[in-house]
Amino acid sequence: MSITKIKKSNEKFGQFIGSEFNVNENLSENQVIIQTKDLNLWYGDTHALMNVSMEIFKNRVTALIGPSGCGKSTLIRCFNRMNDVYDNVKIEGNIIYSNQNILAKEIQVTSLRKKIGMIFQKPNPFPMSIYDNVAYGPRIQKIKKKDQLDKIVKKSLKKAALWDEVKDRLDDSAMSFSGGQQQRLCIARALAIEPDVLLMDEPTSSLDPIATAKIEGLINDLKKKYTVMIVTHNMQQATRISDFTGFMYLGELVEFGTTKQIFENPLQELTQRYILGRFG
Amino acid sequence: MNNSTKIQHNSLSNSVLDSGLRSSLESDLKSDLESNQRSELEFDTKISFFEKIIKPILFLAATFSIVIVLLQLFFLFQQATGAFEYVSIKEFLIGTSWNPTEGPSFGALPLIVGTFLTTLGAMIIAVPIGILTAIFISEIAPIKLKKLLKFIVELLSGIPSVVYGFFGLIILTDWIRIILNRPTGQSWLAGSIILAIMALPTIISVSVNSLNAVPNEYREAALGLGANKWQTISKIILPAASSGILTAIILGIGRAIGETMAIMMVTGNTAIIPTPITNIFSPVRTVTATIGIEIPETAIGGAHYHILFALVVVLYVIIIVINSIAELLLEKFNKKCNNGKIKKESNKKINKKTNKKTKIISKKFNFWLKSNKKRMSKFLQYLFGLWLFSIWAGIWIGIIFIGIIFLNIRFYNFISSENQQKIAIAIIIGATLLVFAVLTIIIGFLIVNGISVISWDFLTRYPRDLGREGGIFPAIIGTLYLVAGAIVFAVPLGIASGLYLAEYTKPNRFTRLIHMSIDTLNGTPSIVFGLFGFVVFCIFTGWGKTLLAGQLTLGLMILPTIIRTTEQSILSVPQEICEGSYALGANKWYTEKKILIPSAAPGIITGIILGMGRAIGETAPIMFTAAVFNLRRLPKSLFSPVMALPYHLFLLTTTVPGGQDNAYGTALVLLVLVFILYGIATILQSKIDRNKKSFILR
Ligand SMILES: Nc1ncnc2c1ncn2[C@@H]1O[C@H](COP(=O)(O)OP(=O)(O)OP(=O)(O)O)[C@@H](O)[C@H]1O
Ligand SMILES: [Mg+2]
Repeated sequence: MSITKIKKSNEKFGQFIGSEFNVNENLSENQVIIQTKDLNLWYGDTHALMNVSMEIFKNRVTALIGPSGCGKSTLIRCFNRMNDVYDNVKIEGNIIYSNQNILAKEIQVTSLRKKIGMIFQKPNPFPMSIYDNVAYGPRIQKIKKKDQLDKIVKKSLKKAALWDEVKDRLDDSAMSFSGGQQQRLCIARALAIEPDVLLMDEPTSSLDPIATAKIEGLINDLKKKYTVMIVTHNMQQATRISDFTGFMYLGELVEFGTTKQIFENPLQELTQRYILGRFG
Repeated sequence: MNNSTKIQHNSLSNSVLDSGLRSSLESDLKSDLESNQRSELEFDTKISFFEKIIKPILFLAATFSIVIVLLQLFFLFQQATGAFEYVSIKEFLIGTSWNPTEGPSFGALPLIVGTFLTTLGAMIIAVPIGILTAIFISEIAPIKLKKLLKFIVELLSGIPSVVYGFFGLIILTDWIRIILNRPTGQSWLAGSIILAIMALPTIISVSVNSLNAVPNEYREAALGLGANKWQTISKIILPAASSGILTAIILGIGRAIGETMAIMMVTGNTAIIPTPITNIFSPVRTVTATIGIEIPETAIGGAHYHILFALVVVLYVIIIVINSIAELLLEKFNKKCNNGKIKKESNKKINKKTNKKTKIISKKFNFWLKSNKKRMSKFLQYLFGLWLFSIWAGIWIGIIFIGIIFLNIRFYNFISSENQQKIAIAIIIGATLLVFAVLTIIIGFLIVNGISVISWDFLTRYPRDLGREGGIFPAIIGTLYLVAGAIVFAVPLGIASGLYLAEYTKPNRFTRLIHMSIDTLNGTPSIVFGLFGFVVFCIFTGWGKTLLAGQLTLGLMILPTIIRTTEQSILSVPQEICEGSYALGANKWYTEKKILIPSAAPGIITGIILGMGRAIGETAPIMFTAAVFNLRRLPKSLFSPVMALPYHLFLLTTTVPGGQDNAYGTALVLLVLVFILYGIATILQSKIDRNKKSFILR
């Protein structure tokens, strides 16, 4: 069944209760890859996420939208436990991935992050060559053989649609490339360790329109193999690239559904006001 | 069911992947998918062994500084408590006679007065010049000149104190003797001048930093209101930076009080209180000089010995108090700058001032300036400023002038603001040129007199006739050994503890304690390190004067520099880059090894080189612990004594009549070594600055 059909069937049966999205009946074609249950997060005394429950579907692009400070970054950083770097963070609830609660203390974040990669708002290439940037992840996993690394680097750069632009300059410092190229390099770097899921926190917000278009095209291709979750401020972008959309407000997931439904037929008034740009 | 292959492309009009690439991608994806069929993932649940032990190791390194400070306090106090069996605290502190051999009497007042007077004199000279130069560097100089001047200030701070002492003894005291027609030039005045030169770099660089910290908006706001440059500086920037500048002065005082070698060489070392107290030509003897001179002569464990340690404790406590005050002030200043809460009132003041009518005196002054202007180019005017103000009187006019501005004395308003600016800028440039002149004079004299001494033989031969003849080969080698050992000891420790501070600490009390210990070590005078090393590495261990004791003592001394530069350069690596590494599944240690330390390496290396520069020139720490004068061979092991360049220079100058020529040569060699290191450090630093620009992510 194609995605367009799924969307159509959605419109027919769409039943949304609060932020709960009834998956099993409507979207049996979609396979849940990550599920959060009653996720709560505090930075010190700030309650930044409140009872967030949602599903992420395999090989789909899920967008998170919402006003600044509503907790989008906080939420997306939960999936690879990037919030662990702060020491005033307290998390409650579950995130189920591959039948395990990845918030469990005994799970080592390093092995989790090999499966759930992340792209950041600002391109953050390492101050080393293109090649070393892409080979960084595989090297962590003790892949040392040159021909093996060569293959991975080439494949990853191709997947990130960067190979043709940099194939003769693999030894140049990554810092000498443009912002858009750097961001695609960061994507290649994340792909090199063969993750299942890619988290992207406003990956195009520091890029110009052309570079943005390239990244969007790339995301569209990537979802054939990967599950993508993307935070964006740009609602056109969300409609262009995502299959599902979650709208967040003040730490709560207000509404979650197919992108089409959220943008054409939001069930919550808050969502509607935000989408129409009537937000105070 | 295989979703990915069946899903049609969302028709995305602006997709830029060309079809060729797309098809190659698709085949790649297919093969990936096949290899990727697995049901459940296994996550690691064990932390790797290395990751577990790295933190405790770094922690131990970081606590080392605390341990050293505590040990220093313990040993110095322990040795000092013995003193009061022989002398009462009262007699010690206010007794006016210091005569450890005959009598003996141990009144330390003349020594304390000596330290006080020389420091006071030094500040009277150095404070106005230092602040004015800082103003020039921060506010007036064009960018290239700024860099040059900063380099000059660094060089001034890099010149070893024994070289200053040498210059002071050979040249400065001679000038005072001849020009001022005195029986001897070794005096309070000479001590103050030398101390002033040595405190200048501290005062200038800390002041420049605090002036730079004043937000640019203030400058723009003031200039926007029609204030001229000098009004902006005097009414807005100086008040805003005042607590930072005060810190600079206090740190300068700390530097002056703790100085040993140079002051010992130029003050005549007579333990008397000058009569009258204002007699700047009287010889004096400072606390540090007393320690430096008498420790080697005294019997270990006797009355004199313990009393000298009581002196060290007095010195140590004074320095710690001074540095803590400076530290507190600086913290406050930084907060103030961050909050940007500098009073807006001052803007109003400017408006009033600019509107004040000029009066008669001003007219005369204007006329005088105008008539001169016709004949003089701008350049000549500045030269005129130099001529007028770069002499003693000029400095004093400067002080009074600035005093007047701050006190808003009436007649100041008679001078038009434009002319005020001219005068002020002339004074400022005069002060800067004076600093420049001092450096050129010192270096010039050393080069002119030393270059003819230096030859291949001089560098590769052993000394003969108490160093008057022959070369300085063993001294060069000894110094290299000492510095190499200090580096081997301090670098791993310093990097480990800098890394710990930057990466593993939370802002709690314990972290503060570590920082405080490092600051204390950083401010501890080198003579105190020398004594500590002497007590611990020579006496306590029973090694006596050995190369190893000197290396460890020097290592302790440069440790804080290395810790600080490591911490700062690691902290300046952008957080985003580390997160990028974590997001790829790297653990903390891997990230540190591959990203943080390499990115911070140039900064760390700069710190190490500056530490080496300091270790090469220091005399006080090795004087009691490692250095001997006349060696016929190189040290056989870590447990033999060595010769060292600075100590050789010191003894050639002070105890070997006729050793002057070779002293010039030794001083020049020492200076060249230090300058090479400082040059490398400066080049590295400018590279880092350039890199930082490309680090700022787009
Ligand atoms: N490290 C932190 N410590 C304390 N509070 C934090 C921290 N990071 C985020 N917050 C707070 O948590 C809330 C959510 O922040 P978050 O960054 O997730 O918002 P966001 O939706 O990503 O906003 P934006 O669109 O501006 O990126 C905000 O109120 C923010 O102030
Ligand atoms: Mg965000």
